[in-house]
Amino acid sequence: MESSGQTGVQEGAWRTRREARATSELFLGQRRIYILPSGPGLGFGALLLVLLIGSINYNLGLGYALTFLALSCALVDMLLTWRNLAHLRLKAGRTPAVFAGQEASFELQLVNASRRPRYAIWIDSAGAGEPRHAADVPAGGQATVRLAVPTERRGWLAAPRLVLSTRFPLGLFRAWSYWQPDLNALVYPFPEEDAPPLPRGTGTAATGTGGGGEDDFAGVRPYQPGDPLRRLAWRQIARLDPEDGGQLATKHFEGGARDELVFDLASLPPALDLELRLSRMARWVLEAESRALPYAFRLDATSFEAASGAPHAALCLRALALYGLGGAR
Amino acid sequence: MKALPASPFATHLARLQALPRDKADTLLLLASALLVLAPHVAHLPAWVSALCALTLLWRGAITLLGKRMPPSLLLLPLAAAAMFGVAQSYQTLLGRDAGVAMLVLLVTFKMLEMHARRDLFVVVFLCLFLVLTNFFYEQGIGTALLMALSVLALLTAQLSFQFTGAVPPLRRRFLMSAKLLGLAAPLALLLFFLFPRIEGPLWGLPGDAIGARSGMSETMAPGTMANLAQSGEPAFRVRFEGRPPPQEQLYWRGPVLGAYDGRTWTRIDQRLRRRSAQQPPSLSVGGKPVTYDITLEPSSTRWLFALEMPRRLPELDGNSANVSGEFELTASAPVESRLRYRMSSYLDYRLQPAGLPEDADQWLQLPADSNPRALLAGLALRAEPDPRRRVDAVLGRFRRENYVYTLNPPLLGRDAVDDFLYGSRAGFCEHYSGAFVFLMRAAGVPARVVTGYQGGELNPLDGYVTVRQSDAHAWAEVWLPGRGWVRVDPTAAVAPERVRRGLDGAIPPRAPFGIEGLGRFMQLDGTSNPWIAQLRYAAGAVNNGWNQWVLNYTPQRQRGVVERVQSSLLDWRMPVLLASLTSVLLLWRFLLRRRSSDPIDALYSALCSRLARLGLARSADEGPRAYCARISAAATLAPPAQAAAAEFLGRYSDWRYAPRRNDAHLAATLKRLLSQVR
Repeated sequence: MESSGQTGVQEGAWRTRREARATSELFLGQRRIYILPSGPGLGFGALLLVLLIGSINYNLGLGYALTFLALSCALVDMLLTWRNLAHLRLKAGRTPAVFAGQEASFELQLVNASRRPRYAIWIDSAGAGEPRHAADVPAGGQATVRLAVPTERRGWLAAPRLVLSTRFPLGLFRAWSYWQPDLNALVYPFPEEDAPPLPRGTGTAATGTGGGGEDDFAGVRPYQPGDPLRRLAWRQIARLDPEDGGQLATKHFEGGARDELVFDLASLPPALDLELRLSRMARWVLEAESRALPYAFRLDATSFEAASGAPHAALCLRALALYGLGGAR
Repeated sequence: MKALPASPFATHLARLQALPRDKADTLLLLASALLVLAPHVAHLPAWVSALCALTLLWRGAITLLGKRMPPSLLLLPLAAAAMFGVAQSYQTLLGRDAGVAMLVLLVTFKMLEMHARRDLFVVVFLCLFLVLTNFFYEQGIGTALLMALSVLALLTAQLSFQFTGAVPPLRRRFLMSAKLLGLAAPLALLLFFLFPRIEGPLWGLPGDAIGARSGMSETMAPGTMANLAQSGEPAFRVRFEGRPPPQEQLYWRGPVLGAYDGRTWTRIDQRLRRRSAQQPPSLSVGGKPVTYDITLEPSSTRWLFALEMPRRLPELDGNSANVSGEFELTASAPVESRLRYRMSSYLDYRLQPAGLPEDADQWLQLPADSNPRALLAGLALRAEPDPRRRVDAVLGRFRRENYVYTLNPPLLGRDAVDDFLYGSRAGFCEHYSGAFVFLMRAAGVPARVVTGYQGGELNPLDGYVTVRQSDAHAWAEVWLPGRGWVRVDPTAAVAPERVRRGLDGAIPPRAPFGIEGLGRFMQLDGTSNPWIAQLRYAAGAVNNGWNQWVLNYTPQRQRGVVERVQSSLLDWRMPVLLASLTSVLLLWRFLLRRRSSDPIDALYSALCSRLARLGLARSADEGPRAYCARISAAATLAPPAQAAAAEFLGRYSDWRYAPRRNDAHLAATLKRLLSQVR
């Protein structure tokens, strides 16, 4: 009874160790590292056998010496390969948000606290074929690896389970370890291509004056930090020499303030596929941002006052990315 | 046109260093392969060596000039032609030498067909095997050093291909692989001595596995021994327990020859003899036996040698020993590798003293119509009734009548004994022993020729006695009533120095000019210069140690080593020695680690412990800043000490979070501040 209970505990420990729960930091302890001969390593084993048989058959004293020297080199290589990976510290880095269809880039940091440099450490998601990312970690330093993972749908994309492996120094052995980094990439909806033009005053039809007033040029005012670049009044700036006390100028539009944009999911035809609607809203957000037009944003319960700028856009896109996916983080 | 550079070599070097990585790696692999292939030139046909050199040059040019590799359509016919060439050169594709030639060609052609990383491993592995095949031809100390160098080069090449990003410079890569090799060496040594040895061969060796060897033959004609005596190769080495017996007693018994056809002495056909005569005859011994170990060089014959007279059969591993009716020792299989056996012999013995068996007449037979003068002289001796006197008469004749002992006797005619006794009067041991036995038989005394070795050179440095082919000797045995077979050395009657001091002492120095004089000069005669003698002894001792411990580390020898290790482990001294050695190593490592820790960190912990003694211990979760604030708030320190501690912690914290390594100036400042905290 007792013994069976104990094995159960051990199995549990084995499993948790093996499964490598998602962590933002991982220390590659001795028991996390697996090592097996590589393909060339197996070939080397066959060579050792041939060398030994040759030495026995021809009674070559030096042949024995060569055989055992080669065998010992392989054993030392095994130790060094293991050590090249062991006691490495892994840290999850930043992961910028991307649009669906782009590649999410997971940033991983390999921190080497030891006094010896580590060479040729390969990283890729487990299950992929040949690993694609290699890194050298200098002694007492760190290296950053950005792992690109293609995205298909909006929402949170968890980093794949990673496998770190090395064959350094001689390539006769492959040591590897798994890591599930606690990294999630936010994937925004794919911005619809050839989307309809920005909806003008859709949500404020009561106050709407119609027409295209918001694009009316209303003059030039001095540049203020935060003004989008595309609204700089280049013609005016070109006339003024900064040496003569001239300064940057920003074009000022009247209409934008009077007739604000509102992107509302509810205003889109419900017949459209939800993903397409979200996609279209994402395009509009990008469009408005590129033209520096303030816009209000409504997505069911979520609503943001009209504004513009990167933080605003990020909030909107995030809401779009996570819409209807439950556990919004 | 560009100006010529000042030093073309420097620019070449710079260009080599600026090569792209894959090219540099390939060149390194080429150089390692060259190192492995070079010693094979000594035994390969010239065209194979030339073809390999050209191929490697081609490959080097492809790499340096960035050309494309030749297509396999070109390589295949080339390889086939080379294979045909090997078959033509050796008349076979099997066997050792042809196999090695094929392997050499394979490695060089593989260089031209290297595309993937896998191919690199194939080349390195083949090169390692080529290193082994070189041991078929040469296993000296120099070869071992070359092996270590080749393995180092191959490791470096293999290592260089493993980098994915930054590649350290070549010198550092060499150091890395040297370190790897250094780590592997102790383990390799342990395996070498402890891995269970198997007595080969595992299967029949190809015919050419063992080259021609010089050694004792089973026949003796004028010139046989003299030929052998020109060879300085060792026949066997002996280590005596205690002091070696004097030189004149060192008669190493080999084949006993009893049949004579007028020119050549041969063994009596054992198949024709009666069963009873094949059993070893009676032997009575006296005195204390001499015990010794013999390491016999491979001779491709079955002969085993032992000091006259061995008391028992040697025990051989994977072979068994037999003794014949003439007390010849043989192994049941030819000796193809160094053989070690332990023997004990009695120098004081009587062989068959009770009386000759019924087949005594075979020791009296002479060819009917040859050497008439010697026959008559022998018959005349029969007038003397005491056989012992007949022996003395012949020996006295050799001594009195200006017989000369020489390695280059004149050629003899059909009646060789007559020509020697009455014509040339100059001969080597085979002439004297042959003529003596002929005369004895004519005189009615049973006699036979015993061949073997006489003497040996003691190396005072390691205590081994080396018996060389040049110590080959032939003497005689006569059967005397009441005494049995008695050893008579007629050569000793002519050249007593031969027996007392060996061949070098007996042959007068010849013309100092000419090839032979040069040869003797090159041999560096030990008697002329004690310094050179010492050097020769040292070289001999190293070489013998090499043979004993590396080339001829047999299962028996291994058992001896293991037993010695076991017994010394059971002894109290060895564990104590090991334990103290381990603790010294651990201590050393500990000290090394202490020293290698950062000096500034060390100062910080010194400050912490000093403050702890003053009642302000740092708690584990406190960083230097928080610690500093607490110290300032506590105000238990004297103001100058507190200020120093605060400055210390401030500086340390700045350094810690914006590290600049090896800041000697900071260390000095911190040390000064530390001294103020009290």
